[in-house]
Amino acid sequence: MKSLRHRAVLAAGVLSGLAALPHLVLSQNLNPAELLHPSADSWPGYHGDYSGRRHSHLTQITPQNVGKLSLAWAFQTDQTALIKSSPLLVDGVLYFTVPENIWAVDARSGHQLWHYTYPPSPGDHIGNRGVGMYKGWLYFTTPDCYLVSLNAKDGTVRWKVEVADVKKGYWTTMAPVVVGNHIIVGVSGDLDNLTGYLRSVDPETGQTQWQWDSTPPAGTPNSTTGGMTWIPGTYDPSLNLLYWGTGNPTPVLNGKVRPGDNLYTCSIVALNPDTGKLVWAFSVSPHDTHDWDAVEVPVLVDGTFQGEPRKMLMQASRNGYFFVLDRTNGKSLLTAPYGPVNWTLGVDKEGHPIPNPAKEPAPDGRLIAPDEGGMTNYRSPSFDPKTGLFIVDAHPSYSIYFAKPADGAYGWAGADYGLWGKGVIEAIDYRTGKIRWSHEVGAGGSGAGVLTTDSGVTFTGDGYGNALAFDTATGKTLWHAGTGAPMQSSPISYELDGRQYIVTSSGGVMFAWVLPQSSILASGTASPAHTRP
Amino acid sequence: MKRTRVIVLLAAAGFLAFQCRQMTIYAASDGSPSSPSASQSPQPQENAGSASPGATAYGEHCAICHGDNREGNLPAFPPLLGINRQMSDQQITDLVRSGKGRMPGFPKLRQEELNALLQFLSTSNSPTPAPNGNSSVASSSLSEAGYGLFRQNCAFCHGRDAQGGETGPDLTQSRLVRRDVGGDRISEVVRNGRPEKKMPAFHFSNQEIYSLVAFIHEQQAKAASRPGGRRGVEVADLQTGNIEAGRRYFNGAGNCVACHSPTGDLAGVASRYEGLQLEEQMLYPRDVKNRVTVTLPSGKQISGTVAYLDEFTIALRDADGNYHSWAVGKVKYKLDAPVNAHVDLFGKYTDDDIHNLMAYLQTLR
Repeated sequence: MKSLRHRAVLAAGVLSGLAALPHLVLSQNLNPAELLHPSADSWPGYHGDYSGRRHSHLTQITPQNVGKLSLAWAFQTDQTALIKSSPLLVDGVLYFTVPENIWAVDARSGHQLWHYTYPPSPGDHIGNRGVGMYKGWLYFTTPDCYLVSLNAKDGTVRWKVEVADVKKGYWTTMAPVVVGNHIIVGVSGDLDNLTGYLRSVDPETGQTQWQWDSTPPAGTPNSTTGGMTWIPGTYDPSLNLLYWGTGNPTPVLNGKVRPGDNLYTCSIVALNPDTGKLVWAFSVSPHDTHDWDAVEVPVLVDGTFQGEPRKMLMQASRNGYFFVLDRTNGKSLLTAPYGPVNWTLGVDKEGHPIPNPAKEPAPDGRLIAPDEGGMTNYRSPSFDPKTGLFIVDAHPSYSIYFAKPADGAYGWAGADYGLWGKGVIEAIDYRTGKIRWSHEVGAGGSGAGVLTTDSGVTFTGDGYGNALAFDTATGKTLWHAGTGAPMQSSPISYELDGRQYIVTSSGGVMFAWVLPQSSILASGTASPAHTRP
Repeated sequence: MKRTRVIVLLAAAGFLAFQCRQMTIYAASDGSPSSPSASQSPQPQENAGSASPGATAYGEHCAICHGDNREGNLPAFPPLLGINRQMSDQQITDLVRSGKGRMPGFPKLRQEELNALLQFLSTSNSPTPAPNGNSSVASSSLSEAGYGLFRQNCAFCHGRDAQGGETGPDLTQSRLVRRDVGGDRISEVVRNGRPEKKMPAFHFSNQEIYSLVAFIHEQQAKAASRPGGRRGVEVADLQTGNIEAGRRYFNGAGNCVACHSPTGDLAGVASRYEGLQLEEQMLYPRDVKNRVTVTLPSGKQISGTVAYLDEFTIALRDADGNYHSWAVGKVKYKLDAPVNAHVDLFGKYTDDDIHNLMAYLQTLR
């Protein structure tokens, strides 16, 4: 039966061919399992993976060859809003945002596939962190608090649902986090006394699955509001815990009307992603009166601490302290300052900073370190497993804070003024909290996040518009390029066509950096096409 | 067949010639035709509020790109309101005649028309009155538009009511806002930002800026009529220190005398600055320019004020105002930044020291 055999062989050949080349069959489609183990040619979520370490396993770019890094392409958005988003890279297409805008760009050519604009809306347009992706759909938050679901192929809108009331004073900026069949959305809103919350939404219908509130409802006596949830959190699939940082309490600078620790503002919380139930919480800034959101990335690291293997969570927080927690139960392992701080009476035995009442905002002003922008802010840190270094863009700074009875108890309820600050990239040894190396990045400060790679290169930017590569072990500069505006986002990396790309943004431009082709062939360090972490 | 081919060729040539005829160009703003290279005599004025000769010239030659009301069409076509504050008449003349980039030149524009245009460009643009002529209705709708824009772009830092927010000062207590006339000072801050204070620049059209200005002035007026309800820092708030203790700190632990003198550089400082501004300058004077001496490989030294410094480039302006820059690796340089003594004190002050110093400095009028 010659023809049957031929047909069978042909069928087998086609099927095995399809199996071997999954990315040619599926396009603009993100299998949720990919989020658990991102392949080398993807960056499927804001942090790249669920850990928040922002650490790439790619090794083509090394300390020895990064000096040759050059521009593959630049994408100009032709508008003035600063890019603050981390792009997604899925199936050769990059997706990134500014408020009310999404671009889909071919990662090979740097040319646009489509550009979506949301109609002009009320609400704060301070920034947008990017999109989330589930199967063939993108999820995007808007200044007027809608979650929009779009077709990734062409940017057409499937549906939108309201996730907060912009008229009450909320706005939304964050990149939705996708965990299983949950789209997790957080909110912003510091100018009113509002309850912060996290909401989980069904990816197909947009219906609310659960909501977790950071504080009791507004109007509860002697209680606080606030606790906004505006930076994407992290997730541990084996513990099935979602980790999130919450923002400051409101009224912001007046703590008298909200005595106590003001739970769960300025906290790191662990939630069950299927039910939204709180499993544990750690208060990073009990009774904060300086606007120090604890929303910074809760970085998940498995390693040893004082000789014992531990599942850890690390946060370099706005208030100037670096925290290492056991992420199974929220217990503190280490709390140490990573820059000048003058607002505490020390740290208690549970690892909580003890706020000094004499450093609460006062009618004639109090000198406070750091300033209201904090020792760090939304820009992502990176954890490098080989060196055990937690690398963060820090901002040693001083400010004066004022509050008086006439300022009331609503919204900001006071005034604060930055006096001086500078930017320093700090490499913190997580086991001791000591800073192993620092690298100054400019008077005033830098806004750039940090990416590290397995080959020992750190990517970031300074306050003058230079994109930078350092030797992770020493902090020494190995490469730079002047991009014309300071980076206000965090770098990503992926491999495409056997080349490692570093993608950064500054101003309204997206830059893709690679080694020259000749350099790759000569060094012979091209990594295999589909590396599994 | 040959004849048909000839006819077709002739028809094609004729068609091409027809297409090359002189076309009249219709400006978008008005329906009247005008030819691109010839200038026209001014239209006679019949109705009040209608175009001056300069306005007519503007409408014919400029409005199609720069907007009917000189509001521009960013990013490609800049607004022209207040252009006379940015460019001299000669600079405008040269630009109009020779063009630049995408802007065509108008070399054949008659001098009279150009003069009229210059006159027109130096006038301000008041908001178009509402049809019933009631200007207060128009101004409040202007400030309403400003409120919308303010909420989207400014409220996070300056508060929704402009009385201060996340990092931005209370604009209703701002000296600059008090001194602003029709947006002349506010527009400059909005357009350029305050990079050293982390305020970004905003590329708003002039209409948008006017709406913001209207809103900000309205808020200032409201706040002034409602004492005690403000969120800001008043001079009276900063009077909790002791003058004698402040003088002791100035001469002793603070060691301010190392660089400053109450009868020298600080004489009258409290007349130049007051309240919060005085305290901010006292703690860190942010406008100070540092000095640097650069030693070239030849051994020659150049000194000046620091114009730029990052990890890779050092630049200075010398005594004659000339700019020089070098790659950091190619020269040696020594910074002279006495202002850093202020930074060193941050970790040493108590809050009482600061209030006492303020009390002392406020005696230096």
